[in-house]
Amino acid sequence: MNTTLCLALLFNGIVLGLIWSVIAIGFSLVLGVGQTINFAHGLLFTFGAYFFFSISRNTSFWIAVIAAPILVAIMSLFLEVVLVRRVYGQDPLFGLLITFGFAIAMEEVIRMVWGKAAYSVSTPIFARGQLILGNFVYSRFRILLALFALTILLLVLWFMSKTSFGAIVKAGMFNSEMISALGHNLPLLRTLVFVMGGLLAGLAGVIGAPLWSIKSGMGTDVLMPGFIIALIGGLGSIKGTIIGGLLVGITTSLAVLVIPRFTDIIPYVMLIAVLFYKPKGLYGEVTILGEVRE
Amino acid sequence: MKTKNNILQDPYLYIFIIFLVYPFLPYIGKYRSVGTELLIWSIFALSFNLVLGYSGLPSFGHGAFFGVGTYAVALTLLHLTSKDVTISLILAAFFGGLFTFFYGFIIKKKRGIYFSLLTVAFSQILYVIGFRWDEVTGGETGITGLQRGGFLGIQINNPITYYYFVFVLFVITLLVIRKISNSPVGKVLLALKQDEKRAQYLGFNTERQVWFIFTISGIFAGLAGGLHGLLHLSAFSDTLHWTKSGDVVMATLLGGGLANFYGPIVGAIIFISAREILSSFWDNWLLLYGLAFVVIILFIPTGLLGIVERIREKKHFEQFNNNRNNIGSKNTQEIT
Repeated sequence: MNTTLCLALLFNGIVLGLIWSVIAIGFSLVLGVGQTINFAHGLLFTFGAYFFFSISRNTSFWIAVIAAPILVAIMSLFLEVVLVRRVYGQDPLFGLLITFGFAIAMEEVIRMVWGKAAYSVSTPIFARGQLILGNFVYSRFRILLALFALTILLLVLWFMSKTSFGAIVKAGMFNSEMISALGHNLPLLRTLVFVMGGLLAGLAGVIGAPLWSIKSGMGTDVLMPGFIIALIGGLGSIKGTIIGGLLVGITTSLAVLVIPRFTDIIPYVMLIAVLFYKPKGLYGEVTILGEVRE
Repeated sequence: MKTKNNILQDPYLYIFIIFLVYPFLPYIGKYRSVGTELLIWSIFALSFNLVLGYSGLPSFGHGAFFGVGTYAVALTLLHLTSKDVTISLILAAFFGGLFTFFYGFIIKKKRGIYFSLLTVAFSQILYVIGFRWDEVTGGETGITGLQRGGFLGIQINNPITYYYFVFVLFVITLLVIRKISNSPVGKVLLALKQDEKRAQYLGFNTERQVWFIFTISGIFAGLAGGLHGLLHLSAFSDTLHWTKSGDVVMATLLGGGLANFYGPIVGAIIFISAREILSSFWDNWLLLYGLAFVVIILFIPTGLLGIVERIREKKHFEQFNNNRNNIGSKNTQEIT
């Protein structure tokens, strides 16, 4: 009984960690290359979930899977060009506040358009059923979602380490001014990275929609773990972010056994512990975020 | 003659007079709890501006220290003494300071984006504790039904006496914070804001100054939170949530805390009035709240008093130019 419970929690933790990693990578890319705290990242996630919900109800599941992230990416392009672009290089609080304000306003728009009630997405037919391993029973849909998240993460990892564009992005996270000194178009790079972050947030929204109830505040709930994982993993390291995400996800999930009511606190405590001993994060090599003195 | 002019030009005088006569003003004077709210938020915004405006540290978790003050008052009134609020308020300020003191120790070395993100994280820790620890904080339902009682034997139960009680504390806060920002410490903080490395090379221990000002700011934020708890006679965990920290940032930036000492007060007055009016008849007022951030950052990052300041500077400059042009040859020696 106890082992099956632990196993179920472990699986939940892995699923959670993978989704959080997808969110954290998008946040981390914008933080690194744009040097902006994108508090609208959670909003983009929410829009991903809502678009997925609406499109899948009106057309088909697969169209929604593809269309929702693309719509979110277009939205983030709009957000970058109209607002975020103007605060690059200014006080970090400005970027934080402009995205925060945008997120608050758009959350209200969501409430006006879709109403205050929460929605849920039903499991598609092909994914129904359970995975049974002796005593242990686990939803097949959750496993498929986790595999989807893992695929995205591996694709990002491959993209960042094997393509030349990925190399430029990585270099931009180390020193974005040097990028323009080397003749690359930094504003364009920042826009592309922001859109890439939006795409990842939209994909995370698609994965998150069936798992959690779809409501306007869902983005705020995942934004916090997202940025915590980005900092724990270390900026500039995709591998670190994935490991950090799994670490935080599994710990948070297993903490139910020890402190059932205070599990939400785990990511924050881990963040402060990690930053106290390793200010750059677990795998981070970047110190562009203000001065980090040891 | 010159000193008399200076007194009349001091905004402090006008703020003092406006708040002194507020309860007797026609039309708006009857909303005493709104007036009290304005005073409390002015205290909070002034304390926050020590960190944001003076030291240039982008904190986004100050709501937590406000919330700590509220809970300190609520819990002492529940468990310790319900007759007198003296101890409660002292404890509110004390705990506000204690939390910022410990937190300042962790955060004093961090700057920029890290500073912002860590302040958010810390306020979330307190939020989770407030939200989940049902036995002590009442969890989701919070603590309600408190009694205001008296302060050192003076009854502050009725709205108007409570208004003046908060008013006195506001005046004291204003004087203390002005004293601090004009003191050598305040000057070092201004130097830190402009160029921290240079301030360090000049021999100042900037980390200790940051720690100090963070703690002072926490003390007054805690006091403001305590007063807020006494105003509404309740404590709720959502005041601790990081999104609520946006309120004080909004008040400070809107008024022009980055440019002027009195900016936070102006901002608090405008923001709280707007919030009270809008939220009473429009459900979706948060739409405007969010857009206000965008507009402020894009168009008036130095806030309303920042605009005033800019106009004044321009005038000064023109006057200076005119004077220079008008000065005849006989006055030149006097100038040089």
